[in-house]
Amino acid sequence: MLGTRRVLIGLATAALTLAAACGGSDSGSSGGTGGASSESIRGQTITVLVPYAMPQSLLAKFTAETGVKVNYVRTGWDATHNKLLVANQAKSYIADVAEFDWSFTGQFAGAQWVEPLDGLVDAKTLADLKSTDAAFISGGKTYAACYSNDFRVSMYNTKMFAKAGITEFPRTFDELAADVQKLKAAGVQYPLSIPMAATEGGVTPWYLLTLAMGGQLFDDQLAPTFSDSSSAGYQALQWEADAVSNGWVSPGSVAMDDAVAFDKFTAGETAIVLATGPGNMATANDKSQSNIAGDAALGLVPGVDGPGASFGLPEGLSIPVTAKHKAAAAAFIEWWERPENAIAIYKTQGSLPCGASAIKQLADSGELQGGDVLNAELPHVSPLFSAGAPIWYSQFSSDAQGLLNAAVKGQMSVGDALDQLASKAESHNQ
Amino acid sequence: MRFRRSGGGGDRAARETQILGWILVAPAMLLVAALVLYPLTQGFKQSIRSGGFLFGELPGYVGSRNYRDVLSDQTSRDAMRHTVEYVLLAVSLELVLGIAVAVTLHRVFRGRGIVLAILILPWALPSVVSGVLWRRVFDPDNGLLNSVLLNLHVISEPHVWLASGRGAIVYITLVHVWGVLPLVSLVLLAGLQSIPDEVYSASAVDGAGPWRQFRYVTLPLLRPSIAIALTVGTLLAISIFDEIYVLNGTALNTRSILIQVYNTTFVTADFAHGTALAFLLAAATAILGGGYALLLRRATV
Repeated sequence: MLGTRRVLIGLATAALTLAAACGGSDSGSSGGTGGASSESIRGQTITVLVPYAMPQSLLAKFTAETGVKVNYVRTGWDATHNKLLVANQAKSYIADVAEFDWSFTGQFAGAQWVEPLDGLVDAKTLADLKSTDAAFISGGKTYAACYSNDFRVSMYNTKMFAKAGITEFPRTFDELAADVQKLKAAGVQYPLSIPMAATEGGVTPWYLLTLAMGGQLFDDQLAPTFSDSSSAGYQALQWEADAVSNGWVSPGSVAMDDAVAFDKFTAGETAIVLATGPGNMATANDKSQSNIAGDAALGLVPGVDGPGASFGLPEGLSIPVTAKHKAAAAAFIEWWERPENAIAIYKTQGSLPCGASAIKQLADSGELQGGDVLNAELPHVSPLFSAGAPIWYSQFSSDAQGLLNAAVKGQMSVGDALDQLASKAESHNQ
Repeated sequence: MRFRRSGGGGDRAARETQILGWILVAPAMLLVAALVLYPLTQGFKQSIRSGGFLFGELPGYVGSRNYRDVLSDQTSRDAMRHTVEYVLLAVSLELVLGIAVAVTLHRVFRGRGIVLAILILPWALPSVVSGVLWRRVFDPDNGLLNSVLLNLHVISEPHVWLASGRGAIVYITLVHVWGVLPLVSLVLLAGLQSIPDEVYSASAVDGAGPWRQFRYVTLPLLRPSIAIALTVGTLLAISIFDEIYVLNGTALNTRSILIQVYNTTFVTADFAHGTALAFLLAAATAILGGGYALLLRRATV
C-alpha cells in the first residue's frame, strides 16, 4: 500500500515537473514570424522547397553575402505540389520560399496561402520580371517571382533528320506527318516522343496541340470550347489517338510521363519531342546525360499553316503566409533573380531565366542554346489562361489526366472523353 | 502485488491500485486520442462541411451532401467497383494458392528451409519496390514480358498490358498477390502444423484417403487460420495503392478507391469529398473486419 502511494506521489511530482518544463519552453520561444522590413536577417535559416537541384556552391555564395543559411529541399514536382497543398490547408509551416507553378495562381492566391510579393520583394526585381510574371498575377497582385521561363517548344535529332533526308524541322502538321513517315522509313521505329500518361505532364501536349491547331481550351467566360468535333481541342486529341494507332509514338507512350518521354529522345530512340522546355536543350546536348549530345536542336512548334501557337508554363518562387523568415525569404528571391545568379543556375540546372536583363546577357554572350529558335518562338507564346489559371484548375487537370489517357488508350472515344471533360469543367465553373 | 479484500484498509488499497492503473494507462489513452481520435473527429467534421470558397461556395455544414456526391460520381463508383474486383480476385487467389503452398511446405523434404526463405522474399520487399520490379516486366516498350513473347513469336507487336480494363486489373492483382501470398501461406502453414498427427492416423484407420483427409480433417481444423488469412488478405487488398500507382499511375481503368481518395484530396485539394470517400472506405473496412472477427470467433469456438 505504501509502495502504491509512493508511486502515485512520484507520478504527480513528475507530471508537475513536466508541466513546468513545458511552460518554460513555451514562454521561452520566440514565436515571431518576422516579415518586418527592419528585421535583421543575418543568422537566420530559411527552408526553400523547389523541385529542381541547386549547386551547394551557389547556396554558399548566398550565405556568404547575407549571413542567411539555406535548407534547400528538393522533391519531385508532384510531391512538392502535394506537400504545399496539405501544409497550406493545415495552415502549418512548410517553407520560407516555395515553388509556385503557373497552375497554382487561382487556387493559392484565392485561398490566400501565399504573400503578395509587392512590397516584400524589391520593386526593381519585379519590374525586370514583368513579361513573365503575368501568369502569377491575380487581383492585381503578384504572388511569385518567375525563375523558370518555361514554354513549349519542339526539339529534334538533326542526325536522324539528315539520315531520313529531311533538311528542316516541319512547320505544319501536314509536313510533320510526311516527315514522320520518312523517319520511319529511315529506321526510326517510333519517331515521336509524346507523354500521354494520366499525369500533368501527360495532358500538356494536348494543351499545346490545341493552341498549335489554332484553338483555345476555354472562351473568355471560361466555358469549354473543345467538345465540338470541329474544335481544335477535339482535333488535337484525335491527332494524339491517331499517333498511337499509326505507330508514330511507341505503344508505351500511353503510360509515359514527360520525363520518360524526354529520356527516350536523349537515349536516341525517338527523333522528335513535340513539346518540351527550352532548358532541356542543355540536357540533351550534355554528353554526361545524353546519347545524342551535339545532335539536338530546337524547332518551332508546328501549326496549321505555319508555326503554331505555344504557351508558357513559368515557375516562380513564392513566400507562403506561414513562412517564418519572410524578409530573409525575400532576400533569397532577390538574390536568385540577379542576372549573374540566374545565369549560373541556368548553366547548371537548365532553368531558363525570366528576367529581361538575364535573357539579354545570355543572348549577347551567345550562351543561350537554340537562342534563334527561342527568339522566334517567343512571339507565339501566350498563357493558357489569359486571366491566370482559374481557382478550379487542379480539378480540371485531374479530370483531364484520367479522361484523355482513357481516350488515347482506346477505352473511350475521343468524343465521349471530351464531352465528359467539358461537362465536369462546366460544373467546376458554375 | 497482494492486497486484502476485506476491511476499510483493503478497500482503500484497492481504490488506490485502481487509480494507479488509470494513471498508468492515461498516457497511452491520451496518445491514442491525440493520434487517432482527434484526426478522426477533425476528418469527419471536414467530410460534412463544404469545400469552401476554393470550390465556389461558402464554408459551412452541408450534412451528408459530400457523401451523396461521391456515391453518385461515376469516377468514384468505378473506383469502388475496381476495388471490389481487386479484393475478390486477390483474396480468392491468395486463399487457393496459399493452401496449396502451405500443404506442399507442410511435407518434410530436402531443401524445405531454402524454399521457405525464398518464399518470404516477395513479402519482405516493400510494395513500391515490387511495383517497380514488375513495371520492368510489363513495360510495353522495353519490358521483359513483351520481349519474351515477341522472341517466341507469340505476339507480333508490343502489347500494352495495363491499357485494357479487366486485363489490367488482373495483372495488378497478380503483382499484389505475389507480395501477399507468402504471408498468407505462412499463416496457413502454421495452422497446418498445429493439427496433431494423431488425427490423421485415426482418419487413416477409418479408411480416409488423402482427399477425404484434406476435405474432412485438414480444412475444418484449418478454419481459424483461414479466417485470419482472409482478414489479412482482405484488408491488404482493400488498401491496395502502391502497386497500382507505380504500375499505372492514376489511370481510370485501374483506379482503386484509395487512389481516388488520394487524387481527390491531394491532387485537387478537395479535402471535403476526399475525407467523405475515406470515411466510406473506413466504414466498409470496419464492417468487413467485424464480419471476419465473428467468423474467426465461430471458427475458434
